[in-house]
Amino acid sequence: MKKFIVFISLLLVALFAFSEETITLNLVEAFSSPWRTPTLNKIIEMFETLNPGVKINVISPPYETAYQKINLMVSTEQPLDIVEIGDWNLSTLAAMGKLEDLTPYINSWPEKNDLIDGILEAASIYHNTPYLLPHGLFAKALFYRPDVLKKYGFNDYPKTMKELYDMGKKLTESGKNQYGFAFRGKGYPTSFIDAVVTSFFDDIDPNNMYLTKSGKIVFEDPRAVEALTFYVNIYKDTSPKDSINWGWDEQVNAFVSGITPLLFQDPDTTGMLNEMLKPGQYKTAPLPVGISGKAYPSFGFVGWGIPTYSKHKDLAWKFIKFVSSAEINGYWSKAYGALPILKSVYKYDSYFSSYIFEGWTKMFEDKKHYQFTQYPLDNENWGKWNEFQEKTMQQVLLGKLSVVRCLKEWTDFWKKAGIK
Amino acid sequence: MKHNRFILFMLLPTLLLISFIILYPTISGVLLSFKNYSVFNFGNIKWIGMENFKEIFGDIFYMDVVWNTIKWIFFSVIFQLLFGFILALLMKEPFKGRGLYAGLVFYPWAISGFAIGLIWSWLLNGQFGVINDILIKLGFIKEGFNFLSDPTLAMFSVILVNVWYGIPFFAIMILAALQSIPNSLYEAAEIDGAGYFTKLFKITIPYIKPTLINTILLRVIWVMNFPDIIYGMTRGGPAGSTEILSVKMINTVFYESNYSKAAAHGVIIVLILLIYTIMYLKLTSKKEFSL
Amino acid sequence: MKKNKIAGKIIRIILLIIFLIFALFPLYWIVLTSLKPTYELYTFPIKYWTINPTFYGYKKLFEFVNFKQYFSNSIFVSFLASFISTIFAMLSGYVLSRKEFKGRYAVILFLFFSQMIPSYLIMVPQYVMFSNFHLINKLISIVIVYSGFGAAFSTIMAKGFFDRIPKSIEEAALIDGCNEIQSLFKITIPLMLPGLSAILSFSFVNNWNELFTAVMFLNTSNKYTVPVGLYSIVSKAGIQWNVLAAGIVVALLPTIIVFAAAQKYIIAGLTQGSLKD
Repeated sequence: MKKFIVFISLLLVALFAFSEETITLNLVEAFSSPWRTPTLNKIIEMFETLNPGVKINVISPPYETAYQKINLMVSTEQPLDIVEIGDWNLSTLAAMGKLEDLTPYINSWPEKNDLIDGILEAASIYHNTPYLLPHGLFAKALFYRPDVLKKYGFNDYPKTMKELYDMGKKLTESGKNQYGFAFRGKGYPTSFIDAVVTSFFDDIDPNNMYLTKSGKIVFEDPRAVEALTFYVNIYKDTSPKDSINWGWDEQVNAFVSGITPLLFQDPDTTGMLNEMLKPGQYKTAPLPVGISGKAYPSFGFVGWGIPTYSKHKDLAWKFIKFVSSAEINGYWSKAYGALPILKSVYKYDSYFSSYIFEGWTKMFEDKKHYQFTQYPLDNENWGKWNEFQEKTMQQVLLGKLSVVRCLKEWTDFWKKAGIK
Repeated sequence: MKHNRFILFMLLPTLLLISFIILYPTISGVLLSFKNYSVFNFGNIKWIGMENFKEIFGDIFYMDVVWNTIKWIFFSVIFQLLFGFILALLMKEPFKGRGLYAGLVFYPWAISGFAIGLIWSWLLNGQFGVINDILIKLGFIKEGFNFLSDPTLAMFSVILVNVWYGIPFFAIMILAALQSIPNSLYEAAEIDGAGYFTKLFKITIPYIKPTLINTILLRVIWVMNFPDIIYGMTRGGPAGSTEILSVKMINTVFYESNYSKAAAHGVIIVLILLIYTIMYLKLTSKKEFSL
Repeated sequence: MKKNKIAGKIIRIILLIIFLIFALFPLYWIVLTSLKPTYELYTFPIKYWTINPTFYGYKKLFEFVNFKQYFSNSIFVSFLASFISTIFAMLSGYVLSRKEFKGRYAVILFLFFSQMIPSYLIMVPQYVMFSNFHLINKLISIVIVYSGFGAAFSTIMAKGFFDRIPKSIEEAALIDGCNEIQSLFKITIPLMLPGLSAILSFSFVNNWNELFTAVMFLNTSNKYTVPVGLYSIVSKAGIQWNVLAAGIVVALLPTIIVFAAAQKYIIAGLTQGSLKD
């Protein structure tokens, strides 16, 4: 044992002596993928060339376990200097008290003013403090297949939810295995449900998707009954029965094979679609608006944060600043499929103004019909909500729970959870 | 004295290792289940007594989960045993290429659980699943089954996959036991004019009974703690119809990041298994294990 | 009588074929998918054959996913851990089979108990323990864990094998003047070799496929094992099926080789009872 201790201390001394020359930063990814991680490695290579003496060590846990792993690593203070944080685990990490407040860094950052409007506010969901700097944005848009729609005599995409439903119904011929809408039933269907439900409202709180401007929970409003019934009808009349068990993979599989030519998805879906479909075989459009004439998309975001116990915070910020520069952010977003965080990127890189991104650019420009709002991600019960909403929604779709009862349960959930 | 030291010396490596890797973490895991260790409470971790258990038993869906678990274990193990037994009987007599046949028919055992779940959820998809496509082409059905979205079919589907995965284990164990039956027993029975089934029930099954008892015991324990297939295929859906205890435990970690509550689920699982093991051994009236 | 035998034979062959098809069908689909080009993965109507076979999936697997490294890590971890647990199991299984002593029943119950523990009950304590020992992101940490999990099951199996070797053989050796350890190593273990290879291959397959502990304990991609590598092909924006399928095919190779090499022993090893005649 003694020998072991001596050995360890020698090793530590050696490491310390060595670290005088190179500083190693540890970075952990939350959204790793075999197609994104190599891009990150290339960016890191550039950074290392520009900053001799700095090495960045990348940790890329498999996507489905990443949040759990990051939670465990941060809570046990494993050596980390840069942490990728998704919107859905920001509060969890921030609540631990182990994330650095980035305000002073961001305030001294010249490109701050180039940030897309509202993004910094969105990222400050927990205690109004920016614990991360976003590097990519997500928002749902409508993906459609012009080739399939044309076969059924449609030359344009649906502009309203009603049109979406009617079009989907006309397309649906279950005998031919042809359906309309790629429904999401499993694995975080939250944003799909809510995009449809809130489109029946015209007074959603811009800071909280589940509240109206008068502070009422949306699910207890009579309009919600109509809205959720409509959503159930989309499932019943325009989607395969099986889609109650569909996650991302099944949705996209059905979209690519043409079985369901209408799909709501995030921009990172374009990566795989570009590989599987020919150019022009799919297009994007703004989310259909509801009877209120409005739609309430929400920003999803992912960004970089610094753990409070990091020993190289300034260097970590230097790296974050580097990846957030217009040039790198554009390169990164293109490879990865997220929307860039800087306005200037959209201007100088024509890729982001191409037809592939039409759905999002149109939504961003049309502030009258598209009002971005936020989820109550800072609520402790947010995680539980996802499980609860998925389960109860499936019960409604299976006819085991009525729409009215379900909305009551949802209202009760949020009342108990103390929504603000 | 020397005798005892020998025994200790031989047992110690195994016991120490298991104590270090499993026993110690289990004890702290049990302690954890009485705390409020979740990511939202990191600064303020304390004893909360039975709160986690109260919350679990207060869940209106909990008895459904227990019931699902019983169905999942019972049908999985019964069919794994039945088909594993038949396969072992078929393979008992040597035939040309038996080695190759064994390699091919046993390979499902060698795939990792999460991959099995992913592959089979694709194969069983209602719209573009291969199984439905074949059934339609063969003219058995007109429209595809909703294997994973129909609540009654979903449990059947995940069990089907688990059976597919688990047959080899039973087959290997039973095959081995079968081959240890002295041929002289069969010869004697044949002289008495015993037919195939008489031999099966009078000689084969009684002879391999100890193997069967222990293999079933182990398998039930493993199947209880094997959420991989269900997690990959339905995540416990639709509407909780395939949610079993171990999937519930994973969901508690994944959705709620509540490690204490997950530990409480784990404690319940261990208690159920302990009660089951004791009852099982009483019923099979065996004081001793032999595999 | 003869007719019956022929009918029995035919039924047997038919049943053997049904079992084979049931087992193999998904494998056919995996191999086919691994050879499909990306744009053919999701085509409808479903294609049961591809006229454009490609090794794209395999190429990506070794280029992007660094599968070679995962593979050698997995070989190292799985073999080392299987060896350790098999040797431990050999020692303890021998004692449990041959000796009567106080607490023997308790030890066996303890081994069964260790099989009951669900992973999430011990996840946090194990992680904290290993991080205190600075063993996070070290292959040796999962070797230790796998050896521990394997030792319990392997001991139960080993005890069964020893039970089937007649005591009389060892007793004869003892009379010839060997001491106990000598007789164990010179007489019993050689007889047990087939059984030991059965145990070894069982734990090898278990270790080779273990995902949960590996995901939690290993951080950097140069330390990943095959299941972690396969799992990381599943990302937020989907699964590239041809790459994943290629990975499953490659991952199957060692286990099939181990099974094929050991199947003779697995079957023979478990039949030591025939010595009893």
